[in-house]
Amino acid sequence: MSVIGETSGSLASKMSPSFRMVSKYFITSIVFFILLNILLVLEYNNIHGHYFQPILLALVHITTLGWITMIIFGAMFQLVPVVLEVKLFSEKLGEIQFWIYLAGVIGLVTAFWSFDTGLHMAVSASLLVVAILIFIFNISASMAKVKKWNITGIYLIAALFYLLSTAAAGILMAINLGYPFIQGDHLQYLKLHVDVAFIGWVLIVIMGVSYKLIPMFSLSHGYSQKSSVFAFILVNTGLLGITTVMHYKIIPYIYYFFTALIGLGILFFLHQIYLILKRRLRKKFDIGMKHSIIAFSVLLLDTILGLFLVMYSFNDLTIELNLILLYGFMSLIGFFSILTVGQLYKILPFLVWYHKFSSKVGKEPVPLLKEMFNEKLAKIEMYFLVAGFTGGAIGIALYIDTLMLISFILMLTGTLIFAYNMYSIYTAKGKLTAAPAQIDVVKNDKEAVR
Amino acid sequence: MLTEDQIMESLHYIIDPEIGINIVDLGLIYNLDISSEKIIVTMTLTTPGCPMHSSMAEGVENAIRHLDDKVRIEVNLVWKPKWTPDMMTDYAKERLGY
Repeated sequence: MSVIGETSGSLASKMSPSFRMVSKYFITSIVFFILLNILLVLEYNNIHGHYFQPILLALVHITTLGWITMIIFGAMFQLVPVVLEVKLFSEKLGEIQFWIYLAGVIGLVTAFWSFDTGLHMAVSASLLVVAILIFIFNISASMAKVKKWNITGIYLIAALFYLLSTAAAGILMAINLGYPFIQGDHLQYLKLHVDVAFIGWVLIVIMGVSYKLIPMFSLSHGYSQKSSVFAFILVNTGLLGITTVMHYKIIPYIYYFFTALIGLGILFFLHQIYLILKRRLRKKFDIGMKHSIIAFSVLLLDTILGLFLVMYSFNDLTIELNLILLYGFMSLIGFFSILTVGQLYKILPFLVWYHKFSSKVGKEPVPLLKEMFNEKLAKIEMYFLVAGFTGGAIGIALYIDTLMLISFILMLTGTLIFAYNMYSIYTAKGKLTAAPAQIDVVKNDKEAVR
Repeated sequence: MLTEDQIMESLHYIIDPEIGINIVDLGLIYNLDISSEKIIVTMTLTTPGCPMHSSMAEGVENAIRHLDDKVRIEVNLVWKPKWTPDMMTDYAKERLGY
């Protein structure tokens, strides 16, 4: 039993970090996403060949650090308190981390772009590691007070471990580029870095968070959670397997075995999502869910492609390199970006609504979440983004540079529409639906239903 | 003294901003206990810990306050019995396509 204002402490009202702090991460990440899309158009003819080249490395890190990890940071500050019912350990640290991290991202991306591998790169990488350590400390300290654990929380702990591993491998390589000290092949650390970054950090965060958000957005109850447990065990065993086996040089069959476990784990994750959606109450998919479903389908194709890349021995290096680029493009754009764009149509309205309107409920008119942006425009954005992604994927796989250019322009258009919608969410006013009108609508609707 | 009908009508103003349906038709209001000095509303939310809905409880207080600014209002958030889709009115089910 609880009384408002006193013991409703399990709710987000007292748990949420400040709107300003979280917004910094969200807005900056969207700016990086726009920048990425502009650069894809300008540099389309550089997205070809071996992946270890300056411009590609710069673009990849704009995506992974500026867009993806930046937005995961913001989302985790917001979601950890909600999902695990604890207060964020320190908002101040979140604030400090932001500036160090931003400096690190800009530093590292410019270092890659100009391939300035000396001090410039080493300092930038160190800033990133410091920011990441602050983040891990802040979230761990918050988690220390959790009373009731759930599956999402367990996924997030694993993800933090892989974030640390990604950062460790990353800084070793960054320093090694300017001041070589790694004995043997540094590309094996590159593979470790990429695997733990994408599968360990990004994918595991998304899996864990999806188990919470997808049921919440689709109003789903009473489904089995077993698949999410299997997915956790399989992906982690597989990932720890490939990263340790990798390290002691490849024993192909064991390596294939662990890779297959990851693939199987992802299938279990998708199965869990399917189970959740099967029990949903909201039958009609809204714009956010539509994006998400496309993204999950891309993840399925991407996983098949990933397994193929590992198990098949290519005779033609050009084909192999094109397919590796395709794998990266599908992971970062087709899966992560489309998913995140969709989820932002859900998360950002909530964030702004909560900040601006939650105290006005019952007192004055407040908008519905979907009234805070133009849903028709969002649909057009989705067509542009998906068409651009599909064309871009074909263009990269077959190396048709005109197709790549056209597709990247489509993607940029979609991204700008998306950014406009995000802007309108931030500037949403409270007068969209008048409360008396709302009650009339309810009455009229009821008549209609009868 | 406020009547149950008056209060229920005023609670129709509280629309779940995510779902777009008011909390009465969603079946979130479990009980109203009305006496001359105090109104106790017992309610739930669709998902425990669901961040969006925390302000729903605050909204309930605001909506009743609108009818009577002197009465004491207590809003109890409970998780038992657990909310199920069957608690929705036909109207809400229709709107959701359930």
